[in-house]
Amino acid sequence: MKSLSGFIKLNALIVIILINASVAANEIDIKPPFGIRNHDIGIAPDFTLQDIDGETFTLNQSKGQWIFLHFWASWCGPCREEMPAIQRLSDKTQDNKFNIVMINTAEDEDTIFEFLATIDVDLNSLMDTDGQVTEVWKPRGLPTTFLINPKGEIKYQAIGGREWDNPVYIQFIRTLIVSDD
Amino acid sequence: MLNTLPLLVVIANMQVVQPVIIKTPDLELEFTARTPNQMGSFYEARGFPKSMLNILKKHCYITAGLTNMSDQKIWLDLSRWEFSSAGKPLKREHRDYWKKRWQDMGIPLNKQSTFRWTLIPESLDYLPGEHEGGNLVLPFTNQPITLKATFSTGENKQGKEIIITTDQLFCAEDEQ
Repeated sequence: MKSLSGFIKLNALIVIILINASVAANEIDIKPPFGIRNHDIGIAPDFTLQDIDGETFTLNQSKGQWIFLHFWASWCGPCREEMPAIQRLSDKTQDNKFNIVMINTAEDEDTIFEFLATIDVDLNSLMDTDGQVTEVWKPRGLPTTFLINPKGEIKYQAIGGREWDNPVYIQFIRTLIVSDD
Repeated sequence: MLNTLPLLVVIANMQVVQPVIIKTPDLELEFTARTPNQMGSFYEARGFPKSMLNILKKHCYITAGLTNMSDQKIWLDLSRWEFSSAGKPLKREHRDYWKKRWQDMGIPLNKQSTFRWTLIPESLDYLPGEHEGGNLVLPFTNQPITLKATFSTGENKQGKEIIITTDQLFCAEDEQ
């Protein structure tokens, strides 16, 4: 019995190693499309912010999902232009392992409400009213999007506006979601 | 950034000028002068306090956009951009200078943050095809401005340097 138990433990260990190796390989193999860069800088800084409905969001409570973390401001032209594409991305990637989280940088509630209503999107946004969460995250410019894996690690960054509903980006995001299954 | 502002500006002699565009095989740069009123209106619409606006309206704004046209990484480092006018160096204030100045004046954090977002980063690596930009803030001068900008290239900045020079830059002024 003792040797059988040892055999089972050894096999279990081998399986675990193979699974981990497979996940690691998947992450390495996923080459981002043009416009998204590898940005493997470790654990994402946690934050807690309120959205425009008064609900509280804490990043660390979202582990287990890929997070599309998007920094924007109403005065930023490319932000305005790409917002409808983010809406379409949201529509096309309904998955409980993928969550689009928008953060408005340093504007007040009225400005955010008015802006989102004007461009006619059904996206909620967190409000970093004093800009201090944005200061910690230090996006390279506005808009900037970070992709955070289910373990809470920042993996990719996209700077500037993107056609997020382009099939290339949709496929990339779907591949990410599957890679960490 | 700031692309909602008009691209055409009126300079001191009332000529309407186009942005200055410099193209090389590796790099494309675009410089657009902004008048104090253009910038003041932009910041005022963001709720900047008058004390801040009074200071900002006394400066010279040039929006710079850079596009990496090469197949390797290009490094922006503003400490390697030398501005001069009428034969004398023109000192660009570092974003840390502005941060301290706003802090000393007790400017609300969200206004400080928005102001910083309008500035071009002090340093940045550009991947092939990447485009980023922002504002340069200089002391006002009514003389032409010369710029010598040096860029490193390659993954570890070991590639050939790119040096861009132009004497085509101006501060834009509002119509009197």
